[in-house]
Amino acid sequence: MAAWVKGNAADTDAAVDAAATLLATARTPVFAGLSAELAAVRAAYRLADRIGASLDPAAGDSLYAELGSISASGALTTTAPEALGRADTVLVIGKRPWDGDLVAELAKTKPVRGRAAGADRSVLSLGGSANGSSRHVAYGVGNASLDVAIGHLRAFVRGNYAGEEAFGDLAKRLLAAKFGVVIYDAGEIGEAGTDMLLGLLKDLAETTRVFALPLADPFQGRAVTQLAAWTTGQAPRVGFGRHLPEHDPWRFDSARQVAAGEVDAALWLASLPSPRPDWLGSLPAIAIVGEGSADARPETAEIVITVGVPGSSAGGAVWNERRGVIGYVEATGKAVADTAASVIAGIAKKVEEKGASC
Amino acid sequence: MSTLTLRSEPVERIDLLNITPKALSSLSHADAAKLPVGTSRRGLTLGDIFAIKLDGSNSLTIEGGSARLDRVGAALSEGSIRVEGNVGQRLGEGMAGGSLMVTGSAGPFAGTGATGGIITIEGDAGDHAGGAVYAAKAGLDGATLIINGSAGDKLGDRMRRGIILVQKAGARVGQRMIAGTIVAGVVGDEPGYGMRRGTIVAGSHGTLLPTFAETGTPDLVFLRLLARSIGTLGAKNLDLLKGPMRRYSGDLATIGKGELFTPAG
Repeated sequence: MAAWVKGNAADTDAAVDAAATLLATARTPVFAGLSAELAAVRAAYRLADRIGASLDPAAGDSLYAELGSISASGALTTTAPEALGRADTVLVIGKRPWDGDLVAELAKTKPVRGRAAGADRSVLSLGGSANGSSRHVAYGVGNASLDVAIGHLRAFVRGNYAGEEAFGDLAKRLLAAKFGVVIYDAGEIGEAGTDMLLGLLKDLAETTRVFALPLADPFQGRAVTQLAAWTTGQAPRVGFGRHLPEHDPWRFDSARQVAAGEVDAALWLASLPSPRPDWLGSLPAIAIVGEGSADARPETAEIVITVGVPGSSAGGAVWNERRGVIGYVEATGKAVADTAASVIAGIAKKVEEKGASC
Repeated sequence: MSTLTLRSEPVERIDLLNITPKALSSLSHADAAKLPVGTSRRGLTLGDIFAIKLDGSNSLTIEGGSARLDRVGAALSEGSIRVEGNVGQRLGEGMAGGSLMVTGSAGPFAGTGATGGIITIEGDAGDHAGGAVYAAKAGLDGATLIINGSAGDKLGDRMRRGIILVQKAGARVGQRMIAGTIVAGVVGDEPGYGMRRGTIVAGSHGTLLPTFAETGTPDLVFLRLLARSIGTLGAKNLDLLKGPMRRYSGDLATIGKGELFTPAG
């Protein structure tokens, strides 16, 4: 295990003590990243509650593109296994879904249960990368953004537009689906685009069954959302400054807070890979990062503590995208002594000893 | 007139929810000074942030604004508040009546959920002015919002009722609008994305969405009534409504009962 304080190598206990001193004297600390196993995220929320910090996951913008829409109007969603088992029509929106292996798997299989069992499966794409690796029918969006294209398609589905244009053909295919699935990344199409897409699915639900399959972000945002919900009753961006969890996605956007000079200390939690915020070096900060990661170096922050990486050098509960649940992963290599959860618990204990206001 | 004078730029965001003339009218100076307004564990009170002068009247002036003063005039139901300077997010959130005037600029979500009264911003407004906050049913909901400077993007996002008057606004004006009226000198690209009902009048506009269809230049009594209605508000965009207007219907991605008017010719 390695740790550094102000660029100098330190043992973990000394780094934990320095971190506690920094947080105990902070007025408005922020905990960012939260790309970690669930035990560590839980420890972070507990510590934030104690010292009045606010929290913002690395996946914040992408999460709220989806949560904002769902909170206002709800969604018809399904899971990857259901899509594989039942879908006769799959619409892939944007480029991000092509990064994983789900689309390829859908393209080479058929539905095996439900209304469409045994039928051929049509894979359609809207504004995708058309990489040619999977059999599919591609519909371009020209110069339009994805959200505008989704709206245009919806006008055809609703019957407000008609004709032989490409979107007219795509609308017919969706309306003819026995069990349709639309795969997308809310972060890629934005909140308004997500809202428009979910509205499109509700329009389709008037006559058939088409469901949303939003992709999870790669930074544990789905797991953080669940933990935040059962811990605070709110979505992830909460602040504990007034002794209760206040939810405010604008106010507790960590990048905005730092840019506005509202933050005097930060803790960046990333035992799993996560993009380091640009602002991390601009204020007193603690970085809890995975052992052996690119950020496990003294320049990352004022205080750097390395910890076990879930699924590699530590066990931990993390998001399983294929199953759409939180699941435990074992350490595949030699487990290290310190986990992110134990380090944060150590900081909390030291903060308590120092008598920080709470 | 009661007065709150800002002592210095706040070191943290300040929440002025419930700091209204009515709420202050029944309080002694000492009790008012104890009202919690801070948002950190420091527990800052009204007296920590402002020098307080109370006279029990239904008008309040806040001297010396700051972009960190949130929810100014939120829950205002009667009387008036004047801010000499800037304010932060959610100006007049949920306001039900009275008048709210800001001589400087406002942060995002000005007028969100406001059901009555008049909000005037002499400077600029941030994104989502008259727009809905997270998980809210609607943005502006019956109040009148006047922005004499520029508004950011997504002006009137999910607004349900009321009028917004603005000189210039960014992209996606009237996004997901449920109903209501927006009159703007200039609007940016893609006005009315996802709007269901409501009216947008724009002197000029950026790129239009493919889901807005031109429906001619009808001579509508509604526009004359609108001109009369906003004339009483001292609106600067009245000239817009005097000439023939081209009408677009949209957003046809939704129920498509919204409309966008721009000068014909």
